[in-house]
Amino acid sequence: MTEPRRGAGRRALEVTDITKRYGPVVALRGVSLALDYGEVLGLVGDNGAGKSTLISIISGVARADTGEIRVDGRLWAEAGARTTRQAGIETVFQNLALVPTLSIAENMYLGRELYGPGRMATAVRRIDKRRMRREVEEAFDRLGLNMPAVTSKAGSLSGGQRQAVAVARAVLWGSRVVIMDEPAAALGVQQTEAVLGLITKLRLEGIATLLVSHNMDHVLKVADRVAVLRLGRKVADLDTRERPVTGLDLVGLITGAVPGTPGPS
Amino acid sequence: MLQVIRSRRSGGAPRPQRTHSSLRRLGAAQGGGLWVALILLSLYFSWSTGSFFTQSNLLVVLEQVSVVGIVAVPGAMLLVSGNLDLSVGSVAGLSAAMFGEFDKIFGWPMLLSFIGALAVGAAWGTMNGYLVSYLGFSPVIVTLGGYAGAAGLAQTITSDSTRSGFGSLFGQLGNGTLAGIPVPGVIFIVIFLAGTFFWYEARTGRHLIAIGANKEAARALGVATRRLPFVIYILSGTAAALGGLIVTSQLDGASVQIGVGLELQVLTAILLGGVAFTGGRGSLWGTLAGILFIGVLNDGLILINVGPYVADLAVGAALVVAAALDVLYQRLERVPVPETAEATALETDWTAGGEPVAAQRLAGPPDPEASREAGA
Repeated sequence: MTEPRRGAGRRALEVTDITKRYGPVVALRGVSLALDYGEVLGLVGDNGAGKSTLISIISGVARADTGEIRVDGRLWAEAGARTTRQAGIETVFQNLALVPTLSIAENMYLGRELYGPGRMATAVRRIDKRRMRREVEEAFDRLGLNMPAVTSKAGSLSGGQRQAVAVARAVLWGSRVVIMDEPAAALGVQQTEAVLGLITKLRLEGIATLLVSHNMDHVLKVADRVAVLRLGRKVADLDTRERPVTGLDLVGLITGAVPGTPGPS
Repeated sequence: MLQVIRSRRSGGAPRPQRTHSSLRRLGAAQGGGLWVALILLSLYFSWSTGSFFTQSNLLVVLEQVSVVGIVAVPGAMLLVSGNLDLSVGSVAGLSAAMFGEFDKIFGWPMLLSFIGALAVGAAWGTMNGYLVSYLGFSPVIVTLGGYAGAAGLAQTITSDSTRSGFGSLFGQLGNGTLAGIPVPGVIFIVIFLAGTFFWYEARTGRHLIAIGANKEAARALGVATRRLPFVIYILSGTAAALGGLIVTSQLDGASVQIGVGLELQVLTAILLGGVAFTGGRGSLWGTLAGILFIGVLNDGLILINVGPYVADLAVGAALVVAAALDVLYQRLERVPVPETAEATALETDWTAGGEPVAAQRLAGPPDPEASREAGA
């Protein structure tokens, strides 16, 4: 068993009172979430409940109208996709965010290319293509991912392979928080098991994971807590370690059949 | 697990990807196919005229393609990122006309007029870039407006008159030679080589392709989806101004008419070179093949004494053939991976190994701790 890298129970990510409007539509109304290191938080809700908006805000792609985000206890003001990734927060987007006309290696390093080799090359910002290819090959080997050549274009991969690249990219770069938006959407049974296995691994290593899924079984299998969004509000925050939660409970909260109460945090 | 990896390494059955990538490479090499066509065309002209492969003729080809080439380097970067600059011809004319005004009417020193004219092009590019990248206007509409607007502005300022007599030093820009090579050709070669560095050896190329292919993904991954095209628009305007100044020097005449049709020649060369009109795919080397192909075609058809209209016809035909090849390539790209046992194994076999993920991270920046400290 791996020792958690950071003390479990310490806050990795805390979002407070997030509100987001798109014109007249209020996507999020004062949503707060907290996520500890070594914890897996499931986030569920119906279409339009605000899950994707919340993820966009946390991953720096969108900006909240009000509210604040704290990473590792510190206020994260300079929100932006690049700075968020630099803070060790990685996201597997539902659309996977892969560029089909770039190779696997180019996709893995997109937006944070390595410069080099040597000081001269770094000074003129020449990228080290060979090293990036090698690093990706080695990372795939270490993770046990059996993939086509890293110079293959992402567009030539099958759905499962693309998903593998996107998940691997998040897992390999995310040092604090890994956010997964429907990571198993395009996957077969075996690959889904692999993704859920990776999430469990991340937890053991003290990484905070936010898992968004429509599949209650997947969420309940790995999540320590489950937050339920409904119409832009958080209606429940259930700790599955304190009290067992069933898929039926969640469905009730998601649809509004069971009136929720904002839980802990 | 290890065994699977090892069996992959030690070869065994050929991987299904292999055959596909070679097929695909054949299609992807539209630039490559064009290089072959270029060589065949050159051989044909050499055979039919006997004077094609002479040093003087090749230098003529280089000189004739240089203005289009200079503008096509940033042009290809724009197109591959899903952008477009249709205003380059008019901006070349505007810059040339303004050079004439600066030099003859304002009485500025030649060098200052030259820099001023480049600044006019850069300013127009800045406006294009700002409207498209930051305000989200359509590139076609903005630069089509520029196409009409820049020409109209130039005509208004100059009252549609041509200025001439800029002296021998300025004449060197278009007519001089450097080590036996025409100066415009030297400028084109330098700009092209700089372009290849940014396209292939820096992150610029892959970022532009990413913006053109999947803008949302590029943005989410921290690519500068606004700033990068913005900067290239500025370079495009500046390159157009430089092209206009070269022609002004060659003719010793500054006129609005100088850049007429340049945007279409540039776009034709880029598309012929295999950059997708919708962006996301293409190469700068392919663009060079497109530039040279048009240059060789024009030159050779003049050598074998057919009229310039035939050259236009031939360029048009070549563009349609290139478009047909592009469709073929797209079809090839969509060929699904065959459902062989190996392919299935490739896909399903990615369960995590025994090592902690923390020990498996990709090497390289950024160190989150350091960036946190810097950010705080």
